[in-house]
Amino acid sequence: MLSRVADAVFWMARYMERTDNVLRVLRTSYIASQDEIQDFNWQLWVDGLGAFSSNPNVKVSNYQEALNHMILSRENDTSVLTNIARARENARSVQDYITKEVWQVINEYYHLVRDPKTENLLLKNDPVTAFDNLLRESVLFHGTVDITMNRGEGYIFLSIGKYIERILRSLDILELKIREIENGGNEAMQWKYLLYALSGYEFHSKNYKNALQLEAVTHQIFLDVQFPHSVLYSLLQVERYFKRLEDISLPEHFKELEFLVGRATSNLRYTSKHNSGMEEVKSWIVETRLEVKGVSQKLANLYFGYS
Amino acid sequence: MSFTTLLSDYLVRPKVWDEMCNKGNVRNHYQVFFDSLRESTSDEFMLKDELAKKLFMNQGITFTVYSDGEGIEKIFPFDIIPRIITAAEWDHIESGIKQRIRALNIFLRDIYHDQFIVKDKIIPEALIHSCPGFLREMVGVDVPFDIYTHISGIDLIRDGDGSFYVLEDNLRTPSGVSYMLENRNMTYRIFPGLLPRNNVRSVKDYPDLLLKNLLGLANQQKSEPTVVMLTPGIYNSAYFEHTTLARLMGVDLVEGRDLVVDNAKVYMKTTAGLKQVDVIYRRVDDEFLDPLIFNRESILGVSGIYYAYKMGNVAIVNAPGNGVADDKAVYPYVPHMIKYYLNEEPILKTVPTYSMDNSEHFSEVFSKISGMVIKKTNESGGYGMLMGHAATEQEVVAYKLEVEKNPRHFIAQPIISLSSVPCFLKGKVQPRHVDLRPFALYGPQGIEIVPGGLTRVALREGSLVVNSSQGGGSKDTWVLGS
Repeated sequence: MLSRVADAVFWMARYMERTDNVLRVLRTSYIASQDEIQDFNWQLWVDGLGAFSSNPNVKVSNYQEALNHMILSRENDTSVLTNIARARENARSVQDYITKEVWQVINEYYHLVRDPKTENLLLKNDPVTAFDNLLRESVLFHGTVDITMNRGEGYIFLSIGKYIERILRSLDILELKIREIENGGNEAMQWKYLLYALSGYEFHSKNYKNALQLEAVTHQIFLDVQFPHSVLYSLLQVERYFKRLEDISLPEHFKELEFLVGRATSNLRYTSKHNSGMEEVKSWIVETRLEVKGVSQKLANLYFGYS
Repeated sequence: MSFTTLLSDYLVRPKVWDEMCNKGNVRNHYQVFFDSLRESTSDEFMLKDELAKKLFMNQGITFTVYSDGEGIEKIFPFDIIPRIITAAEWDHIESGIKQRIRALNIFLRDIYHDQFIVKDKIIPEALIHSCPGFLREMVGVDVPFDIYTHISGIDLIRDGDGSFYVLEDNLRTPSGVSYMLENRNMTYRIFPGLLPRNNVRSVKDYPDLLLKNLLGLANQQKSEPTVVMLTPGIYNSAYFEHTTLARLMGVDLVEGRDLVVDNAKVYMKTTAGLKQVDVIYRRVDDEFLDPLIFNRESILGVSGIYYAYKMGNVAIVNAPGNGVADDKAVYPYVPHMIKYYLNEEPILKTVPTYSMDNSEHFSEVFSKISGMVIKKTNESGGYGMLMGHAATEQEVVAYKLEVEKNPRHFIAQPIISLSSVPCFLKGKVQPRHVDLRPFALYGPQGIEIVPGGLTRVALREGSLVVNSSQGGGSKDTWVLGS
């Protein structure tokens, strides 16, 4: 397939996954903020999610300002609206390649997030309904991809993009939660919110006996292969999809990337870092993120390097 | 209020051919449609209208207007009432267009080779050489199967007596065919069951016919030739059409940056390295096709592609240089071409055309300007025109000065009123003027025209300008079976 198309499909998936993750974490944060005695620290989320924004010094003083900035703002190049618009631009540039159904879901999502009714719900009425409406589109996207896209090369790049993004988001959210705990947040409560945001709380209750402690939570987020938001699960998916590229790749390109993916997976499989303290977990996050970004970068160089 | 009542206020302008009504009566070929909707109310029509708009928006059948960095999504206005053409009318149109395309294609072959038509003084040499669309680089180049006009969009209008005239030939990169297809898809959503009841001929074969022709142009030695469609990119207003056609044909939609030329062969950059391309259906204008030959600033094209084409290593559709045949100043010579090359009488009428570089024509046109339209020969989209009946005296004076500066760049024609069709606008059924653009496909096996086309509507009351950039919309076009 065309390198440009592979690149666009990859990024379309990344933006869609990012949107989904950000919305879920903000939904949980909003619900948490309504149940707190003290004022919720929205600034931490604005700073954390907007770390790579071109305008990182935005100050917010209440949930309306925070949600407006992180979800609806057109000026914020990391907002949900911007993400969806980018996903749509990418989808538009490969509209002939993805199925008509996938294009229509993304297009509808774009119109929904720009609809004044969404803004009204989010800032003046019930934000949870707004989150649920938006997240429904996200689920529709995943389902539509699953039942309409052929399993060829495009699907492979789409899946790799999705899982790479998921790893990075899980790591980011874990990092932000650690920061909230360090700022004096109730540890068990924060872990609970973190797991809610990653749709992993029920799983945690059953499989980790509701431990809500650093060791159990980091194990679930990094290493539990049954947990779809875990780093290892996602990395194994990257590996699985990547292997399907073997027959259609230039051999030297495939080998180079296979090494990086294999190393990252092994580093996780044979680690005991989840048994350590908060500081070690923080540096583990940084190392893993670097490794995964390295894979993404190499993929771009070898498979999308069309210019 | 029922459809019948809605129609009671329907007033056809004098001396205008109305496609549906004749002296207050519904024409026969509209009768089935009319009867089916006799009891429909204005509210039901309103709902259908809203449904159509919603479907266009949700399906992303839109074009984006970029202002202040953020795109505004717009849909091309669509009117829900179809325009209906009888089987006999279609036969006439079809044979007329085929005849015209055959002549124009021979003309292109002739003009880029022996120029017999010039030597025999049928067309002045100076006229040909003053056409901006005449490409010196195409002289002596043999194109596959001698076909230049693979895809043509011929604009037709109807005068007050109902006869069809060719208004314009679009032989370069005519657009609008995706709207022909999408408008049809819309019709079966808003009028369930009406298409089969009316015996409407299908248009859905268009992408298959086009693909068959494109594959036919590839080097015959190849069992699986690679066909691509070249688009200027997502910011082009016809981008939706490019993606639609590429998807329906199952070919890759490429941009200039996806292609590269090596050793006079064209390749596309894929995840598994370079892959040779055999046929390119390009939607990039000649000027931007190859920065080495044409516009040096172009980033939409591919360096060296023209050389690859000349060497016969890639087929380009439509052929470069077709602009010489659809130049507005060459248009009045098409009936002569038909006689000269085919020894036939033109089936479709041509609008009388005055060359403004002829001083007699010049004074004649300005003496009866209220009935004339003056057009720039190298502009399209309804731009740069002076409609005599609607212009003020100052506008006429200013335009005259403009024409005097460079008369070769202008032609004049008597204003033809254009037929009208009923449109559902603001809760009322009102007549609006339309044209018709059928799409002809010329492949190694001959010319084929899918029964239909794009009916463009001038949505402003009394307006004769149907271009989408000037407030025009479109309608589904039904060609009835015999």
